Amino acid sequence: MSNPPSVWQSPAMAARLKGRYAAERRFRALGFAAIALSLAFLAFLLVTMLANGIGGIDWAFLTGSDSTEAANAGIWGAFKGSLLTMGVTLALSFPMGVLAAVYLEEFAPRSRWVDWVEVSINNLAAVPSIIFGLLGLAVFINFMGMPRSAPLVGGMTLALMTMPVIVIAGRNAIKAVPPSIRDAALAVGASPVQAVFHHVLPLALPGILTGTIIGMARALGETAPLLMIGMRAFVSTPPGSITDPSSVLPMQIFLWSDEVDSAFVQNTSAAILVLLAFLITMNGIAIYLRNKFETRW
Amino acid sequence: MSPNILLLVLLALGALGWFAGRAKARALYTGKGSLHSLPSHHGWHLALWILVPALAGWLIWSAVEPGLVHTAIMASPAAASLPAMDMERDAILSEAFQLASDPSAAAFNPAAEGLVEPIRAATMKFSLIGAALLALLAFAGGGFGYTRIKADFPARTRVERAVMAALLAASLMAILTTIGIIASLVFETGLFFSHVSPLDFLTGLHWSPQDGSGPEVSKTYGAVPLFWGTIFIGAIIAMIVAIPLGLMSAIFLTQYASARVRTWMKPMLEILAGIPTVVYGYFAALTVAPMVRDLAEKLGMENPSTESALAAGLVMGIMIIPFVSSMADDSIAAVPSAMRDGSLAMGATKSETIKKVLVPAALPGIVAGVMLAISRAIGETMIVVMAAGAAANLSANPFASMTTVTYQIVQLLTGDQEFDSAKTLSAFALGLVLFVVTLVLNIIALRVVKRFREAYE
Repeated sequence: MSNPPSVWQSPAMAARLKGRYAAERRFRALGFAAIALSLAFLAFLLVTMLANGIGGIDWAFLTGSDSTEAANAGIWGAFKGSLLTMGVTLALSFPMGVLAAVYLEEFAPRSRWVDWVEVSINNLAAVPSIIFGLLGLAVFINFMGMPRSAPLVGGMTLALMTMPVIVIAGRNAIKAVPPSIRDAALAVGASPVQAVFHHVLPLALPGILTGTIIGMARALGETAPLLMIGMRAFVSTPPGSITDPSSVLPMQIFLWSDEVDSAFVQNTSAAILVLLAFLITMNGIAIYLRNKFETRW
Repeated sequence: MSPNILLLVLLALGALGWFAGRAKARALYTGKGSLHSLPSHHGWHLALWILVPALAGWLIWSAVEPGLVHTAIMASPAAASLPAMDMERDAILSEAFQLASDPSAAAFNPAAEGLVEPIRAATMKFSLIGAALLALLAFAGGGFGYTRIKADFPARTRVERAVMAALLAASLMAILTTIGIIASLVFETGLFFSHVSPLDFLTGLHWSPQDGSGPEVSKTYGAVPLFWGTIFIGAIIAMIVAIPLGLMSAIFLTQYASARVRTWMKPMLEILAGIPTVVYGYFAALTVAPMVRDLAEKLGMENPSTESALAAGLVMGIMIIPFVSSMADDSIAAVPSAMRDGSLAMGATKSETIKKVLVPAALPGIVAGVMLAISRAIGETMIVVMAAGAAANLSANPFASMTTVTYQIVQLLTGDQEFDSAKTLSAFALGLVLFVVTLVLNIIALRVVKRFREAYE
């Protein structure tokens, strides 16, 4: 009785192993190709915008307002509209988001309707942005009679959209503060409200700010809900207050992209570069804040 | 007086109250334990007593004031000559209001000019009354609050009760928003269904809201082509792009890439998610759509349109990649490492482990992620507005121009129409369908994710 040679040495086995290793390499290459393709698209997009738009960025473009002539058109008007809109959004959504997060994380009793609040916050974070536009149109403009095209209404609509983002980020940040902090404050005689506002909230602030900046960056790039409340007017003078008709940066991009005159291609791409520069800066600040101030307990 | 100045004055009064309250409470301090609350709590208590009644009064007043001004103007002799028709009268009045606030504006209607003086007088009178009312409320509240400052007065409890009320109000905002969305969509949709039968809307095959009138109107609001376009672009083409690329990216980043590569590539991939949709839309219209058209020409199609479902779907798919990738990443990371180690120990290669063990185990999470991605894709607006086209086509040809629910909502609501026509109302009906579908997708997906996490914990 002689044992057959080990199957590990047989030529069939060698061929099978070779096939399996080849499959392994193919799979790995496929994975790399997938991510390379995605990033190549990103690079393609950025390079296209740079090539089309970098020549259009000069002082006159940055300080001018919309015009029917491509050469005279600038983005200051739309930019100021964006600033005012974001100001309204921040002023409304930040305090409300933080207060709601504090309530839900620290004080809310376990009851049926607190569950409802949580469910609706989670769902609002996933509702398509255009639905918020419909809400703004139906409630703020038609029901309350606020002015169309104004940064006030745009900011309020975007605030409703941003608030759930801030609440979710705020709750996570507050949850990350260890209970020993609260216990220590309560032990020396602070009331629950004092413990939260003097000790927990300052420690959670970097996390809350990170979430807020990310939410604001999303609101800054948002177009669809503002389209619903009529912020697509041709505005040739920068808005003076939050009730004046105004445009915003992404809306300016949308309006210019619709122009037949091909000279507007440069304007559109240049405006996109400005918008992207802002978004990347905001996200960079958020990442910096997170790395710099976040404490690992 | 302009509302901004009024608000500033009020805030200044509140701040004054804070200092005054604190100072009075400090004067009461005679030694350890002699005060129930900290002086600053007394300060807050007084400031709240000044601000809250005054602000509430201001809100009520600003709701009432325009009506009072209007009645005062209508009672003035200059208004006697106004036409009796409501519409004409309102037009003249709004013009006169504009003139009163901005003297440089030119009058269109001579009747408006005579109204300027009465309007100025009435606005002046009522804004003075309003300011006086506010001052009264602020001082009455402040006076009452000031008298309550005593050594044993529980100011802290009172202030904290107010803080809790504010917290509760803020968290109620989320429910109010949800109710607002549902109420406004359902209400307008109800009005729409008084023009068009719901059955025709949900099952009709013909969509052309522009040319409907009379009894035939119901036949022009068949939304099936829109639903099909939305599904074809958002749930089919975009997912054909996003699922393989997103899943493979996640697998590469979590299983193969070294830590250094991962720290660089992951944020780069996330940039894709941070680019505004209007930028994607512009890119789709400017660069991708012409490429798709050229491709269609090469394939032998005649006069392919620049706007195609394929261009919009492709770009949308790329936008969704980071989303699918991060969801897949999370679910693969949630698979216990014992399962992976067991497979590797049995001699399986890495790719076999991924294909036969990790992905099947993570499948519920991945499917939930795909559902969330679909709900995001069908609600996406700017890409389809800029690249997909307006024609309601019921075809499976990816090179055809195709329209979606979101595109039609934008189309129906931009422009100056009266607000109660079937055309504008149909946008809210479409919005309601979109809201319900995304809500159902989200709820199912979140349930699946939750159950899946529990299974492994």
